[in-house]
Amino acid sequence: MIATRRTVLRIGGVILAGLAGTASGSTGEAAEIAMRGNEDGSDVWYDPVGLHVRPGQTIRWTNHDAGNAHTATAYHPHNAGHPTRIPQDAAPWNSDYLLPGESFAVTLLVEGVYDYFCIPHELAGMVGRILRGGSVRRSQTAQRDHRERFVARCIS
Amino acid sequence: MRFSLAALALAGMFASPALAADQVAKAPPDGDYRKVSELVKLPDFLPGLGQLFVDPATLPAGPFLAYDHDGSLVSTIYMLPVADLTDKDKSFDDLAAPGGAVDHVDVYFNAGHPGVEMPHAHVVLWHVRAADEARVAQ
Ligand SMILES: [Cu+2]
Repeated sequence: MIATRRTVLRIGGVILAGLAGTASGSTGEAAEIAMRGNEDGSDVWYDPVGLHVRPGQTIRWTNHDAGNAHTATAYHPHNAGHPTRIPQDAAPWNSDYLLPGESFAVTLLVEGVYDYFCIPHELAGMVGRILRGGSVRRSQTAQRDHRERFVARCIS
Repeated sequence: MRFSLAALALAGMFASPALAADQVAKAPPDGDYRKVSELVKLPDFLPGLGQLFVDPATLPAGPFLAYDHDGSLVSTIYMLPVADLTDKDKSFDDLAAPGGAVDHVDVYFNAGHPGVEMPHAHVVLWHVRAADEARVAQ
């Protein structure tokens, strides 16, 4: 199950293909967030619900719920008119529906607090928060990517 | 007399669009039912429920018809949004029930899933004995 699907966000008219691993300088292991649900589907959640990541660290969501599909979707007007709850300069992401076993990854290039939700489960309280710490590479990243602030990629 | 009874029975058959149990006993069911996994992004076989079919015109309530790995009908499921159940101006009337004899019923909360993207209740009419629910456990 390697790279059967790749999603790339289009930002400012620029297609950012394949930059996620390099543009921000990957620093160590990806931070993993599991999408979970109990057996009868009466409860669903992100595990962990809150996460601190280092600059350049990739965040990867994986659906571990055998009986449901989930999304990781940034709070932003681009995503079904939701309020903005990510940093001003950051671009929104939407994983779209992930079936059991599927993954989606982002690297956040802007420091700050990011809130996100699951499209079919927001009403059930399936929401999460990421704190992206201050960047040791901020100037380097800014030079390279000042138009390209955000990259998403999906690995199934 | 025999003739008129037969005529009545025949008229009744054609007057009613309802499906008979033998038309839904095996997957895929007759009528306007479509496989749920082809309508929305969900696994084809849902642990605890089975392989689901629904007539899209009846969403969200259904009925959903659930089949085991051999394609035999195990349950008829209605998905009733909690917001509708607590809305005095909403009700669910005349929901179809083509699956035949019901052995027992389960009712439980579901947080939502593609197709019915809001918290809702599953009302499950099992057409098999409780011990045979294992046929769709995995
Ligand atoms: Cu979810």
